[in-house]
Amino acid sequence: MKSDSNLEKVLSAGHFAVTAELGPPKNADPEVVRKKARMLKGCADAFNVTDGQTAVVRMASWAACLIQKEEGLDPIVQMTCRDRNRIALQMDVLGAAALGINNILCLSGDHMSFGNHPESKGVYDIDSIQLVKMVKDMRDEKKFQCGEEMKVEPRLFIGAAANPFADPFDYRPYRLAKKVAAGADFIQTQIVFNVPKFREYMKRVCDLGLHEKVYILAGVAPIKSSGAARYMASQVPGMDVPQEFVDRMVAAIKGIPSPKSIADPEKKKEVRRRRREAWQAEGIKICAEIIQQVREIPGVAGVHIMAIEWEEAVHEIVSQAGLLPRPTV
Amino acid sequence: MIIAEQKPLDEIKSMIADYQKVLILGCGTCVTICFAGGEKEVGILASALRMATRLDGQDKEFIEATVQRQCEYEFNEEVADLVKEADVVLSLACGIGVQTMNEQFPEKLTLPGLNTKFLGQPTEQGVWDERCLACGDCVLYKTGGICPIARCSKSLLNGPCGGSQNGKCEINPEVDCAWQLIYDRLKALGKLDLMMEVKSPKDWSASHAGGPGKIVREDLRL
Amino acid sequence: MNRDENTPGISPMEEMSPPCQVACPLHTDVRGYVAAIARGDFEAAYAIAREPNPLIYVCSHVCAHPCEEECRRGQVDEPVAIAALKRFAAERHDLSLGHGPPKPNVEPKEQKVAIIGAGPAGLTAAYDLARMGYPVTVFEALPEPGGMLRVGLPKYRLPREIIDVDIKGILEADVEIKTNVCIGRDMTLSDLKEQGYEAIFIAIGAQQSRALRIEGMDLDGVLLGVDFLRDVNQGRAVKLGRRVLVIGGGNVAVDVARSAVRQGRPGSEKEVHMICLESREEMPAHEWEIIEAQREGIILHPSLGPKRILGRDGKVVGLETIVCSSVFDSEGRFNPTFVPDSESVIEGDTIILAIGQASDLSFLRPEDGIELTRRRTIKVDPQTLATTAPGIFAGGEVTTGPGSVVGSMALGRRAAISIDTYLRGEDLTGLQFGEWRELDDLPPKTVERIKPLAREPMPMLPLEERAFNYEEVELGYTLAMAMRAAHRCLTCGGGAYVDTGKCAACLTCVRVCPYDVPIIKEGAAFIDPTECQACGVCASECPAKAITMKLYSEDQLYQEIDALFADAPAENPEPLIVGFCCLYCAYAADEWAESVRAQLPPNVRTLDVVCTSRIDIQHLLRAFELGADGVFVAGCVGDECRHTEKAANRIQGKVQFVKEVLDQVGIGSERLSLYDIPSAEWGTVPRIAQEMTERIRALGPNPL
Repeated sequence: MKSDSNLEKVLSAGHFAVTAELGPPKNADPEVVRKKARMLKGCADAFNVTDGQTAVVRMASWAACLIQKEEGLDPIVQMTCRDRNRIALQMDVLGAAALGINNILCLSGDHMSFGNHPESKGVYDIDSIQLVKMVKDMRDEKKFQCGEEMKVEPRLFIGAAANPFADPFDYRPYRLAKKVAAGADFIQTQIVFNVPKFREYMKRVCDLGLHEKVYILAGVAPIKSSGAARYMASQVPGMDVPQEFVDRMVAAIKGIPSPKSIADPEKKKEVRRRRREAWQAEGIKICAEIIQQVREIPGVAGVHIMAIEWEEAVHEIVSQAGLLPRPTV
Repeated sequence: MIIAEQKPLDEIKSMIADYQKVLILGCGTCVTICFAGGEKEVGILASALRMATRLDGQDKEFIEATVQRQCEYEFNEEVADLVKEADVVLSLACGIGVQTMNEQFPEKLTLPGLNTKFLGQPTEQGVWDERCLACGDCVLYKTGGICPIARCSKSLLNGPCGGSQNGKCEINPEVDCAWQLIYDRLKALGKLDLMMEVKSPKDWSASHAGGPGKIVREDLRL
Repeated sequence: MNRDENTPGISPMEEMSPPCQVACPLHTDVRGYVAAIARGDFEAAYAIAREPNPLIYVCSHVCAHPCEEECRRGQVDEPVAIAALKRFAAERHDLSLGHGPPKPNVEPKEQKVAIIGAGPAGLTAAYDLARMGYPVTVFEALPEPGGMLRVGLPKYRLPREIIDVDIKGILEADVEIKTNVCIGRDMTLSDLKEQGYEAIFIAIGAQQSRALRIEGMDLDGVLLGVDFLRDVNQGRAVKLGRRVLVIGGGNVAVDVARSAVRQGRPGSEKEVHMICLESREEMPAHEWEIIEAQREGIILHPSLGPKRILGRDGKVVGLETIVCSSVFDSEGRFNPTFVPDSESVIEGDTIILAIGQASDLSFLRPEDGIELTRRRTIKVDPQTLATTAPGIFAGGEVTTGPGSVVGSMALGRRAAISIDTYLRGEDLTGLQFGEWRELDDLPPKTVERIKPLAREPMPMLPLEERAFNYEEVELGYTLAMAMRAAHRCLTCGGGAYVDTGKCAACLTCVRVCPYDVPIIKEGAAFIDPTECQACGVCASECPAKAITMKLYSEDQLYQEIDALFADAPAENPEPLIVGFCCLYCAYAADEWAESVRAQLPPNVRTLDVVCTSRIDIQHLLRAFELGADGVFVAGCVGDECRHTEKAANRIQGKVQFVKEVLDQVGIGSERLSLYDIPSAEWGTVPRIAQEMTERIRALGPNPL
């Protein structure tokens, strides 16, 4: 074992792993994290805490991870290259490991221009692949990036991201190979909606033998509404949402009148609730179906559920997908 | 080439607010070519400022001149008399020219009329694109002649990131994904193996990160 | 040509000149006056055309215009109608402003100069010498000055009052003309010297028709061409039969034949034939003259030599001719060969010989010391026109043989310079007249890109109105015709020049030129004047201001912009609107410049530019700076541009840029408008002016 990670144990025991995302709050309230942690407990094997996702300021990933750990979860600290140079990154790696965090996900990070401080200066001293390599060298060689040695190494299960749907498609499996070569132990992919395309990607990944060197967790997410489906289909770069799912989300609220057509505020509220519930049920259903489909794809070792600001859905998804209870190893 | 663009007129107006006689000093090299600070732009700005300040009820005088290269003392010496005559110099050179003027004529303040933007290529008439970040450690031999430092929004050495879509960068559909360009070029050159190599962190000390750049050639010094 | 830098006739030219100017014996700045007409500045056009030419009115009607033969527009379609444009400029000129430029302020000189002959050469020399300060006397044998202009050229080509206009101008330059004084009859060269004339210019022309040594010359009905024309022009009775045979193929022969058509009165219709040695193609007369002759019914018999004149009862009855197989031998000498046994007879009752002229040199005495050539002309130094007798010069047809008006004038000018040099006691042998450097032909790639534009035909007196009178045949251009004709000029060599010291080699000119002319050579832009079409795009876009235009220079444009504001009242009830209009767009409209301008209210002032692409951002800003309340630019719709769409479209970006500046400055972008107007709709300019006025009135005055 490279670490004390629960996720590593689940995967190495041959179980189909589940990870889930826990979004940290945009404030200093630890209760938000605790509440989510309690809700998610038992639904997955490890839980990612994002690091300034979409370049918006939120609670530091390592701090939310620590709170989560106090609740008995196995946290995955996400670390991006956007805000820290190699010095800060290595300090945070040491710190996270010292606090008992066992998993790290190495990312380059969303560009500042997307966030709430677009005027900020990006760092990008190193990139995600270099970060993977750096953490691996710290753990396995007990060396800092500069080559200097350390006494006690950070024992972390190292993850990296992959986007099978970004361009150039042909190159994507090779870029994954680079991450593997750099030292990634597990991969969490971008959200999969287009399963056939993901299957093609995985075929190429397996042809390269990568599935034998790294655990690949397919990213999944529940769609919240037909509007969200449309938005993800057209506005989010690197997201490939087939029309079929957009149509299903639209069909989900068939028969429920539009709230705009109702004057009475109470009835309006009621209609809104009915619509929301119908959408959520369908979104969860689609997500569970996708999990079942990707589970059949050779080389897929697990799923990573990104129910962004909808952590309540995770239990139902995992349940419908037949992945409960989670194994104890 | 150094690419610059003129500051907003309001900003220039407030910079010169306290001065009566303003020497607008152009530069005949990079900023002429990028239509930011050559003789023509000096004339246009002078005209705009004459009108704008008159509308503000001010009575200012604008002198126009352009030197061949404002980053050289010898060329600036040609306008020494005009500098003396003026209350302030409004330079339409890049930041280098502005500093040269301040250094050379310490008794007179030289103000920047331009924002120096980047090192770029005039890719077509009226279009300039950033091409170099002056990182001091050129990697173009590894990237098919396309610079990921200057042209990838994240300066990735192991790109493209997950935001690459249809050849464009996630930050803006107008921006090419440098790594898509690199991939295409290397593929065409039969050198995709360069894309497989995990490139190590870059030595940024050769760039501004290592302190202000300086080159000394003892053999050339007088 | 910068007229200030060059003395007419002397050309220390560094730069390459347009072929029209080089071809003109007087080196008239043709490009300059055609361009002035194109921009509607007709007095400037006259001044430029007049500058080297004291006989401008005469030339504007009868100049042989060698310029047109060299005109590079001819490589594209047909030459620019230069002669017709000169006439237009002359006709538009307000003579109350004077015929020529005021006499320069020179020290009056004491040495007297005598000039023999008041033809083009003598008058030009006299005029020039008088302006240099010399007391000049012209001695003319005939009762009126003008020489062959008056007694040789037919009135249907040159109305006599036209000659008088120029003579008056010459007299105003303090030239004394003594008519009815024939040197040789009334006085001798020695007499002139004795009377204190320190230099003499012999310019008696070639006024004697050459005769033929063939049988029948003494028959009744045989006339000499020059004598015939002189009699006709002086209103003396001339007896012609019903079938007139004119022998000769040159311009005088055509003048004779066409005059013969006009002689007599209705009912006395006659058949006029021209018989010449040369083939139709070789005929030395100007092509347009031959064509007009044919249109007037004159029958040509080329390639025939006169063998003898047939007579009966002492009167001419016909001409026996023989077929001429070649006129010149292999070395180009006149040496006709005839086809044996090819004789035939052309019947006729009058024969007029117009086979060449010679000078009457009988006034010369051996003691004068003036040598002659083998061709019976006066021998002169070709550079200085000095004869073998000291202080005596000769020029014009007396030295060249029959030639053109403008050619003789050029020699008159040269004589004046020589005489001045001589009288100042300087060495004549040092006098050198520079060679002109001429622009090469247009390269084929440029020819391809120049839009063909049909030559404006000269309106002519209807054929049926020509017989039995001497009304002028060519009627002259209307304003619209002249504008269209002037716009065909390629402004050769008048275009862009690069100050290589300023050039940053930014490639802007290389990219924007619609003709792909500029290149980078030795580190700077180079614009080959051979190719440049003077549209001005490059000059208006150069960020280093390294490009200047020879014509329509930056200074000139600024002066014109400033002039628009010269008389603007301080308290203006109506908004002051300045319009930058592409003058070329007037092309399809009639009488545009004047009629449209006349319709504009006084608060609207327009500046006509050769192409909107010539307009620079600073020009537009300048108008606002000077107080314009509104500015509009009116130019061709893309593909109608005389240059290319590429040129026409350049203005859009500039207008947009200026609008942004106006907003930043606080004047407001809505005060500037761009109008694309199809040429056919140019009449809408006054409406645009009205619209602009109303719109700007609502906005209030320019806040400046």
